[in-house]
Amino acid sequence: MYKKLALAIAFSPRMEALIAEARKLIQIFEGELILIHVGTKTPELEAQLSEVLSRHCGDLKRIKTIWKEGKPAKTILKTCEEEKVDLLVLGALKKEGLLTYYIGSVARKVIRKSTCSVLTLIEPKIETTHFSKVVINGTELEITPRVIARGLKFCKAEQSTQVHILNEIKLYGFQMATAGEGTEAEVSNTRRKLVQEEINYVQGILDSLEPTDLKINIKVTAGKWVVELVRYCEFIEADLLIMGDEQGLSFIDRLFPHDLEGVLEVLPCNLLIVK
Amino acid sequence: MESLAHNDVINLLLKLATMLLVARIFAEVAQKLKQPAVVGEILAGIILGPTVLGMIGPDFFEFLFRSNPSANLALDGIVQVAVILLLFIAGLEVELHLVWSQGKSAVSISLLGLVVPFVFGFLTPYLFPELFGLTEEKKMLFSLFMGTALSITALPVVVRILMDMNLFKTKMGMVIVAGAMVNDLIGWLIFSVILSFMGKSGNFSLINTVGITLLFTIFMLTIGKGLLNKVLPWTNKKLAWPGGVLSLSMAFCFLAAAFTEWLGIHAIFGAFLFGVALGDSDHLSEKAKEIIHQFINNIFAPLFFVSIGLKINFFTNFDFALVLVILVISFAGKIIGSGYGAFRSGYALKDALAVGFGMNARGAMEIILGLIALENGLIDEKIFVALVVMALVTSMTAAPLMKWALNKKAEETG
Repeated sequence: MYKKLALAIAFSPRMEALIAEARKLIQIFEGELILIHVGTKTPELEAQLSEVLSRHCGDLKRIKTIWKEGKPAKTILKTCEEEKVDLLVLGALKKEGLLTYYIGSVARKVIRKSTCSVLTLIEPKIETTHFSKVVINGTELEITPRVIARGLKFCKAEQSTQVHILNEIKLYGFQMATAGEGTEAEVSNTRRKLVQEEINYVQGILDSLEPTDLKINIKVTAGKWVVELVRYCEFIEADLLIMGDEQGLSFIDRLFPHDLEGVLEVLPCNLLIVK
Repeated sequence: MESLAHNDVINLLLKLATMLLVARIFAEVAQKLKQPAVVGEILAGIILGPTVLGMIGPDFFEFLFRSNPSANLALDGIVQVAVILLLFIAGLEVELHLVWSQGKSAVSISLLGLVVPFVFGFLTPYLFPELFGLTEEKKMLFSLFMGTALSITALPVVVRILMDMNLFKTKMGMVIVAGAMVNDLIGWLIFSVILSFMGKSGNFSLINTVGITLLFTIFMLTIGKGLLNKVLPWTNKKLAWPGGVLSLSMAFCFLAAAFTEWLGIHAIFGAFLFGVALGDSDHLSEKAKEIIHQFINNIFAPLFFVSIGLKINFFTNFDFALVLVILVISFAGKIIGSGYGAFRSGYALKDALAVGFGMNARGAMEIILGLIALENGLIDEKIFVALVVMALVTSMTAAPLMKWALNKKAEETG
């Protein structure tokens, strides 16, 4: 599914781990790898990179390194478009001394504006990460059917052991309070109906896809879905969260907090944003 | 501390029991007739009050509701608390993140649905003051009040209708709900400014009061919300559940209410804004919200709605011409405003009309607004009665009219 994979490198201590991770993904998807570095090309850096590459990608034929100068975010985005990249891999930053991760300002810009999917890794490892427990955002949004379809494909390729699809009941408390005007039977009926509707929504999308042998668990939450999504990822110690992004937001829309921002703020685990 | 005498206590308890019982009966009947419970509760008050019981059983009415000043005072205190709590849950219902996620169409529906009825409500008394028996100096304030009183959509009534019609989760349903939420928030802000113009016994000058009101609003929605986000996880973890969050949220609601009352605006604003901040917090669980709603909706709300009917004679104060004028401008303003907003956001004409009909439901909020204006001498009983009738009629007609518009559309598209 991801035939062209790009990795943005910055010669940080985690570069080697990121290259190893990208290498692993290339193997799964049988694609080609493009390394993008924004900065001046010097013989030392080149030597450093080729040494790391020889260790991890020695056998890789389809690999290309692009050196470009300019504004980091803009240059990365432009290169991805020129090269028709399907998936861009980035590393997140870690708060010093703490076990929390965050996304730097460059990465944030790239994630928002990128036209290809973006995978952000919080803790890249040289021995690579296996995305075994995956959470997919199943909240009713325009992009959700696509997110679930792409997400499941990813999980299949990665051979994930558990896939959780989360959907929310909007304004659950308010709806139940309103339903509270009915009799006890009516109230519990409404409660069941609210939950069932959300399960049906996800099930409907699953039914429209090819059957898989993945272990899929549909979970319904109440409350703000971004908060619930982050909480659930933390609770089950997920390896990967897959969600979509609203495209084409106007300037006015950008003024207000958006759902994606909430996740970027906390970053509970590795994050794949499907575009 | 002074306390109620033996007889006062009996009288107070009898009042409360009668109010709750009759309210329950009428709420059930209203629901059987597919009407909002509020409609039944208000009718219960009219029947228990001077309008009906005062006519057919004046002695009993006198004994129950008029004979005991101390018990009346105690009841007034309870009703005051009920109003504050009603505004608290009205605030709790406003979910800003839902509004943002609906984007531009919600904002356009709600702003047009606010501005157009406001203009209608403002211009009618301003241009035809004799219709409302207004003096020149009261004209401006009264017109502002009328504009606000016609522009707030009753969110709980709307949600009920949408759920009954299975429209809640649709795009249209969400847009209507989000629109009504924005409406609520802005409507109350405007009214808080009007209240400070009325010059209730406050501690500050007019400009200061308006400034402090705005500052308090901004504070509650930013720093206040941030503080709640810090405190709530701790309360959820360390204190009893749901006891901890319930008693603390009530306590802070009353504190915020006391603060705004002290400012010279009204206690209800503090409660409303605290509700908005609390409802928008990430850590107030939906279960806790449901519990807060249930106990306020079923105990305090009926007491308040019944108390309206007890205060006023709806028969002698019923002015047909006035009721008609208010009904016409309220229907026209809201349906044209919200409908046009929806139409502009790309809804088909019949769908846009359905949005307008849905947003037309008015309820508790205009009644509370009217009551405050009545207590401050801004409006008289006749106008208050007309406002209550307007709230009843718009609430009762919203669902049938929406159904009609959508059926029409279904017929057309086959």
